[in-house]
Amino acid sequence: MLLSNIEISNFRSIKGRIAAPLDARIVLVHGENGAGKTSLLSAIELALTGRALPLERADPAYQRHLLHWSTQAGSIRLDTDDGAAFETTLSAEGARTGTKLPDAAAAFFSERCYLPQSLLGQLLHIYQSSNDELGSPLARFVGELLGLDRLDALDAGLRPLQDLRNFRKIADGYGNAESEKARSERLVADHRRNLDGIGTALTEAMAELTAARIAIGLPPAVDEGSLDRSLAELSPLPDEGDLAHLADLRRQLEAIRREAARDRDVAAPGDEPSLSAAHALALGALEEWRRKHEARVTAVRKHAEALLPSADLPASPQAFADSSLKLLRVERQQAAGRSDLAAQAIRRRSAAEAELEVARKQLEAIDGEIGRVAPTAGDLGAALAQITSFIVDEVCPVCDRDFAERESGRLADHVHRKVQTLSASARRLLDLSRTRGQQQGRIEALERELATLSSRLVDDGQASNLSRVSAALEAAVSEIEALANILAEGEVLTRSETAARRALSERQARDLARTSAMATLREFAMSANQAPPAENETVDNAVERLSLVFQARASEFERRMSARRKGVEAIRKAKAEIRRRTELDAVLTGDATIVGQNTAALRRANALRASGQTLRGLVETVRGDIIRREFNDRLNRLWRDLFIRLAPNEPFVPAFKIPEVTTHRLQPRLITEHRGGGSGGTPGAMLSAGNLNTAALTLFIALHLTVPAQRPWMILDDPVQSMDDVHIANFAALLRILAKEHGRQVIIAVHDRHLFEYLRLELSPAYPEDSLLALELSRGVHQDSLCTADRRSYREETALRVAA
Amino acid sequence: MSESNLVRALLRRLHEAGYDDVPTPFRVASVDFQFTAALRGRKARALDLVLVVDTSTGDFGDRDPRSVRLRVEALSRALDVTQSRYVLTIVLAGAALAGDVDALTQVGRVLNVEAARLDDEGRPVDAEAAEALDDQIRLLLPLTLPSDEGAPEDRLDAMAALHASLSANLDAELSSAVIAASARGEGAVTGALSDILARALVLRPRT
Repeated sequence: MLLSNIEISNFRSIKGRIAAPLDARIVLVHGENGAGKTSLLSAIELALTGRALPLERADPAYQRHLLHWSTQAGSIRLDTDDGAAFETTLSAEGARTGTKLPDAAAAFFSERCYLPQSLLGQLLHIYQSSNDELGSPLARFVGELLGLDRLDALDAGLRPLQDLRNFRKIADGYGNAESEKARSERLVADHRRNLDGIGTALTEAMAELTAARIAIGLPPAVDEGSLDRSLAELSPLPDEGDLAHLADLRRQLEAIRREAARDRDVAAPGDEPSLSAAHALALGALEEWRRKHEARVTAVRKHAEALLPSADLPASPQAFADSSLKLLRVERQQAAGRSDLAAQAIRRRSAAEAELEVARKQLEAIDGEIGRVAPTAGDLGAALAQITSFIVDEVCPVCDRDFAERESGRLADHVHRKVQTLSASARRLLDLSRTRGQQQGRIEALERELATLSSRLVDDGQASNLSRVSAALEAAVSEIEALANILAEGEVLTRSETAARRALSERQARDLARTSAMATLREFAMSANQAPPAENETVDNAVERLSLVFQARASEFERRMSARRKGVEAIRKAKAEIRRRTELDAVLTGDATIVGQNTAALRRANALRASGQTLRGLVETVRGDIIRREFNDRLNRLWRDLFIRLAPNEPFVPAFKIPEVTTHRLQPRLITEHRGGGSGGTPGAMLSAGNLNTAALTLFIALHLTVPAQRPWMILDDPVQSMDDVHIANFAALLRILAKEHGRQVIIAVHDRHLFEYLRLELSPAYPEDSLLALELSRGVHQDSLCTADRRSYREETALRVAA
Repeated sequence: MSESNLVRALLRRLHEAGYDDVPTPFRVASVDFQFTAALRGRKARALDLVLVVDTSTGDFGDRDPRSVRLRVEALSRALDVTQSRYVLTIVLAGAALAGDVDALTQVGRVLNVEAARLDDEGRPVDAEAAEALDDQIRLLLPLTLPSDEGAPEDRLDAMAALHASLSANLDAELSSAVIAASARGEGAVTGALSDILARALVLRPRT
């Protein structure tokens, strides 16, 4: 189905009526700016689809400007070669289209058949801006191309659901319901907490009441209904008056106790006979110890005092042992030190004497060596060296004899060797002298050391005295250590004897006061109806016994009184809590209702929100599916092929990439890939302006070719903008391929006259059924539009001949 | 064979693509023209005249850029004189100076194939090498469209696809309201959403 003819009157910049044939594979449209090229192409779109999408995007009210401004009515009629006719009438209000393409075909036409200049510009803009934003030119282009506008509107419109804060803004009353619910819930929770508190307090009060009843001997069982009766039962009995009398008795008892205590301020345990017996025992033990050990201990003490003449040793056995041991050990250590030092000096003296002997022998040997070397060897060597300069042949300049007679080499060599030997001897002499000096120094040092050692040494008598003292000290220490237990025992016995003696004397000072105190107590006990103190009972015990009796009686009175008071108080509390509970129950019911209503409203709103979010998710999925479906490898492969055709020398080719992972709305990204593999930057950064135009143009053609063609039309409005000659030539070749090998009807408008002529030649019919139409748009005398058609048909090419 | 490996590879590829040899030398307007090779397309490409010039090992002065340019210009003029509609494409096989290529561009379409990875028979060593060679003369090769198999058969439009994916657990009133509003833009969608939410949030007596 090819377009075959169009008639236009008074449409946009076309004034009057023009009729243009379109029945050719390729239709070239040329005209100066403003001659109506774009209007002609728009007329085709309007007739086929009922809309002029590029105009609509530029101005939603475009319909009012479709009619030529100076006219009242217009029309468009488009015919196809299968007899279909598309008619549109134009008025000041807009266009009314009769027959149109079916929706799907119309969409295909708008999206993929017609490349208006605005779309080309938009494509270029895509490359030049690199951002991935939702509102980027690429995003707009993708949205418009794939008809995603409504999906995007849904996505954006439902976005406030995502974030609760935004959701509150659009859901009128949501925030209110939330706060009302929260407030009421808080109230309900408060009420519940209060009720719990009341329940606890009531239970406590009832428990207190029960306890009080038990305490005064009433039956424990009681409930909320029997509080008044219980109150009557708790009224006090007349026996509570005894308390005053009891208090008086306790005061008297206290006075007696104080009296007794005053007489007994020197108190000690034990009685006299037992203390006396204890003392005798301790004394006996001490004397037994003395009898056994006195002699030995005294001997040790004397021995120690002899060894430590300047020390003042304590008398107590234990202290003597501690102090004398400490001092003796110090003495012993010092004596041992002195003895060691003497032994060391003796050892060193014999070693040093041996060393000195050896050193003297070595010195002798050195001296012998020195003697063997003639002291004049150096001088002789020097003299001979001077003589060598006088040796001219084998005759000795000194003795005039012929050296050759000796048959031992040349004379000069002989003398030279001699000089070397002599100078070596001289060097050795020097070395020996140095060694001798060192050896002499060593001998002197040893001699000095021996002198020092001799002066330090003591004579043999002193040395043996040192070791004797040391041994005596050692023996004394061992002796005292052996006596340690005995000395400790003596210490203990001495102390216990002393203590027993002191206790006995204290006890004997104590005495009679007890008798008078007991008499007083007996009297008091009788008067208080209690048993009198027994003979063997102490004053304290008797006072304590009576005091306990009175105290127990007083406690009993107090306990009963307290139980009554507590019982009455518990009843009062229980009644108050019951009253509060009744009031709160009513308030709670009201607040719970408010919570319920608001919860239900929020639940409805949340369900809607969830639904909306699901819907938004679906929108995203559908959108992603469509983008993945369209921006696929097929498209990339086709685009690459087309791009390379037009820009064979550009190493980077543009491509679409679908991000694997995306945080927000899925968006294809534009990248470049190197023809040899590897990837480059964005097209805007990698490609020249001309190649960007090429990229835009080839993208459109690739989008056209990548889906099955619903209609075989391709309409291009001045698509070559900043292309150079090479690209244009290649583009022309591509148009030829599309028209002649892929059955497309190509309609292309150009404003450049030179280009128009070039294309007319380049696109010439190549075979008999091939055809080319060139339309020229211009203006007539009354500014009416004119269209002249030039049809080129096939002509057999005869220029080429094989050379003879 | 007198031609170089690269020329042999180019000719083989062009023959496969439907070009026929034009025996050289050929004559236009009584002038003889000699090039490394010349080819002509068929049917839709019947007006394509392709000259192959071996800039590295060619004879007939093909190695001399000036000689090549003069001969191509002469051929172009001869075609003009005979009012021929032939369209010239010059394939330079081997390295060439950018200036020389530009000069030739004034006369015809120029494709420069500097080198290719070929075996001894003049065949590309692997698929990648073949693709690289094709890329350099892409314009002369037929355009292969992807087969419609694998093309999206069922091209539901966006809204139809969305309708098809709606499930029963969505709130029907909400879905239909916002989808209807989507035609009027995102503001309308949010508005519709807001209305429905406001209705849902009115407190109702407990049942």
